[in-house]
Amino acid sequence: MPRGITNRVRELRQAGAGMTQQQLAEKVGVSRQTIIAIESGRYSPSLEVALKIARAFDQPADAVFALTEKP
Amino acid sequence: MSSMSFQEKSAWGTLASLLVIGALYFSSVVNLWRAEQLHMGAMFGLSVGFTVLLVVILVGFHIIVAAISGTENEDERDRLIAWRSGHIGGFVLGFGVVSIVLMIIGSGMVGATFWQTPVIIANALMVAIFVSTVVELALTIWFHRRGI
Repeated sequence: MPRGITNRVRELRQAGAGMTQQQLAEKVGVSRQTIIAIESGRYSPSLEVALKIARAFDQPADAVFALTEKP
Repeated sequence: MSSMSFQEKSAWGTLASLLVIGALYFSSVVNLWRAEQLHMGAMFGLSVGFTVLLVVILVGFHIIVAAISGTENEDERDRLIAWRSGHIGGFVLGFGVVSIVLMIIGSGMVGATFWQTPVIIANALMVAIFVSTVVELALTIWFHRRGI
């Protein structure tokens, strides 16, 4: 992910009853393409969107997003 | 559902249209110049004609895309990509315009007339606008595909 951030968005989205990318996008207020980009590591969301994603999964933000360790 | 946002589809269509219309326009300009027929009247006709053609193509393309896949509101990623690609495109345009100004001043100082001709200056500015727009659109597509 740009700037050394990883995420578990896809894992959490597919867990339990499962949620589609479109459903998550509507909950968070972004496009489905942005969710795709976040899950594939091509886009690092803003703090607001990251917090909304975490809230959608009922998880703390640092359980969804994490800084990668520098080598 | 498509993995491309409306903004990315728009960029692809606009880039393809601009490259085709731009190639036709500048080849027409070169042909007229070689035939020593490149004057302001011809320039006006070419500019208006190709601009209208480009607008018609782009409007038609966007109507078709919107009808097929619908439009979406821009989200933060779309806005960031638009800002960054526009920012870089602006630098390209600025570089082009400054280069043209330097060519005009430099040629004037040495008495060369090529860069003192209005049709040449007008077309040079068109090239700068064309190149900067192509760069902006290409970057929009790049950032959507490869990340930002």
